[in-house]
Amino acid sequence: MINRLEATQYLMRHLTNEPVIASCGNPKYDLFSAEDRKENFYMWNSMGMASSTGLGLALARPDKKVIILDGDGAILMNLNSLTTAASKSPPNLIHIIWDNRSYQITGGQATHTAGKANLAQIARGAGFEKVLTLDTLEAFKQALPKVLSEPGPWVVVAITDNCGAPGRPPKSPTYIKHRFMEALGSRR
Amino acid sequence: MWAETIVKVLKENDIRSISFLPDTVIGKILNYAVKDGSFELITLAREEEGVGIVTGEYLGGRRGVLMMQSAGLGNSVNALASLAIPYQIPFLLLISQRGELGEFNACHVTMGKALRGILDALGIQHFTLRREDEVEITMRGAIKTAYTSEQPVAVILSSELVGWKDEK
Ligand SMILES: Cc1ncc(C[n+]2csc(CCOP(=O)(O)OP(=O)(O)O)c2C)c(N)n1
Repeated sequence: MINRLEATQYLMRHLTNEPVIASCGNPKYDLFSAEDRKENFYMWNSMGMASSTGLGLALARPDKKVIILDGDGAILMNLNSLTTAASKSPPNLIHIIWDNRSYQITGGQATHTAGKANLAQIARGAGFEKVLTLDTLEAFKQALPKVLSEPGPWVVVAITDNCGAPGRPPKSPTYIKHRFMEALGSRR
Repeated sequence: MWAETIVKVLKENDIRSISFLPDTVIGKILNYAVKDGSFELITLAREEEGVGIVTGEYLGGRRGVLMMQSAGLGNSVNALASLAIPYQIPFLLLISQRGELGEFNACHVTMGKALRGILDALGIQHFTLRREDEVEITMRGAIKTAYTSEQPVAVILSSELVGWKDEK
C-alpha cells in the first residue's frame, strides 16, 4: 500500500508549474501538506467535480499538463465523467485516483472499491487506454516519469492507506481561484 | 431565427466551447454551432459534470457555455452551489424549459415548475426568452452580467419561443 502523503510529496518534487486539481476528501490535505503553491486548486466540496474541472482545464489549456488528485469516493460519485474525458482524450490529462477503498474523511466507511468495483477496469471500459494500478510507493515512483512525460490521457489508480495529512489549505474559494488563475496567466 | 441568433451572440462574446446534454431545442442551436465551426463541442453524460468542465475552462482562461434541459438543472444543483457560486465562476447557463405551455409529458412538469424557484434559491440570476425580438439583447446582457458579477447567469428558452411538440 502507498502512503498518500509520501506519494504526493514525490509527485510534487517532479512538477514545476503544472496545475493540480485536488478533490474534496483527503487529496487536498495531502497536496497542501506536500507543497502549497499557486498552481494548486483545492476543492472544499463539490464531491466528484475534480475530474470534470481537470478535464475542462486540460481542454482549455493544451499547453499545460493538468494533474487531478482524486479520491475513490469522489470519482465513484461522478463515474460518467470518465466516459466524457475518455471521449475527448486530451493528451495532457493525468488523473490520479488515491484509492483507499473508503470515505476516509467521513470516518472510514467502505466504498465499493473495498467490495467488487475496480476503478482501473471502469476507466478502461470508459475508453482510457493508458491505465495503471499501482500498489507500492516503489511502483508509483517507477511509473511517474513515464506518466509525466508520455502523452496521455492517463488514469493512475494508486492503492493507498488511510493515514491523514496534518496540513489544511486556505479556505477562501476566491483566494484559491485568483491565485490559481494568476499563476496560469488566465486573468483577463 | 432564435437558434442562429444565440450562436451569433455566443461567438461575438468569445465563447469558445459548448458543453451540452441535448434535447431537440438545444439540437437546433448545435446545428448552427456546427455549421459555424468555431466552437469546441463537449457532449456531457450528466449535466453536473458540465459545471465542472466550464469551471476548469474558465480557470484556464477560456469561456464556455453550458446547455441543458430543465431536467438537467436537477442534476446540477450541488455543483452550482458548491463550486461555481462560491469560487465565483462566470458562465452562461442556457436552459431549454419543459413543463410549461403545451407540455405533453406529465413527467416534465414538476421540474419545469420548480426551475425558477431552484435558480432563485441558489441566487442565480435568470432571464426568460419568450419572443424572437428579445433574444439578441437578453443573450448579450446575460453574458455581460455573468462575467461582470463572476457568477453563472441563466437564460431560459420558453416554449412560446421555441414551440412545443404536437404530440398529445
Ligand atoms: C454530495 C456530497 N455527499 C457527501 C459529502 C460528504 N463527503 C465529503 S468528502 C467525502 C468522502 C470522499 O471520499 P474520497 O473521495 O474517497 O476521499 P477520502 O475521504 O477517502 O480521502 C464525503 C462522503 C459531500 N461533501 N458531498
